[in-house]
Amino acid sequence: MIIWVLYDIEEDRARTKVAKICKQAGLYRVQYSCFLGTLNANERDSLQLEIEELINEEKDKVYIFNMNKDQLKSCAMLGQAFDEKLVSDEVKALLF
Amino acid sequence: MHSFYPSQIIEYLYCPRYTYFEYVLRIPQFEEKFYKVQRGRQMHNEKLERNKNYLRKKIGVKEKWLDQYLGMPGLRGKIDEVLELEDGTFAPLDYKFAEWKDRVYETYQQQLYCYALLIEENFGEKVNRGFLVYTRSSNKIVEVPIPEESKAEIRKSMDAMLKIIGQNYYPKATKFKRRCLNCTYRNICIQ
Repeated sequence: MIIWVLYDIEEDRARTKVAKICKQAGLYRVQYSCFLGTLNANERDSLQLEIEELINEEKDKVYIFNMNKDQLKSCAMLGQAFDEKLVSDEVKALLF
Repeated sequence: MHSFYPSQIIEYLYCPRYTYFEYVLRIPQFEEKFYKVQRGRQMHNEKLERNKNYLRKKIGVKEKWLDQYLGMPGLRGKIDEVLELEDGTFAPLDYKFAEWKDRVYETYQQQLYCYALLIEENFGEKVNRGFLVYTRSSNKIVEVPIPEESKAEIRKSMDAMLKIIGQNYYPKATKFKRRCLNCTYRNICIQ
């Protein structure tokens, strides 16, 4: 499934770490605090637990949304938006 | 004689090729690098510290032994808790860093079957059920029946595993193709 991770984290260290974890999980950075990519249920669960441990539950906000391919296709993307095919893992290699 | 851990038997029952790749070819899975595995291990240590004297009244526990490392020919393993119940039988209890998803997964059952064998051998008492504690669902406790056939099944797998390890025998892969999707060895396995 396609996973969105959006966050608002006060502490610098925690914020940097969350970004790093998202990248390591295989998500693409579509905006400064917004990641997107394809994960299976176990990977998503693991990511959620890892983020949970880093954030301050009193202050920070993190959203993890699921989406399927059709819903992603029906999204409106304006301006300098990301490559839809890249995040849904349809592009296998960037260079040929 | 070779002696197996319950986890090795569970891997074998998932797919016999695991035994071949991990214990004949010695290709590691690096499972200790997975975050959930780390958290689970940490949780086990915390539980051991905290639950020292607590006896579970609800399921009728008379006595308990923590963190028992038991062995018998062909099998060895560490059981989180060995319980003596009010009806005189014994039961293994295992903590899971997992959520309760309305059914007991086969792998958890198989682990309890292995523990049942170990307890019967070492304590000399009957075991006909086991317990699982789901720590991510506010420590929900679930009872799992342990029938005689299942214990025999475990013994049978031990023999099959000895053949793989002793004779470097390359077994047939599991017939459940869905298991291959998530397998750590899918890149090197010949289908």
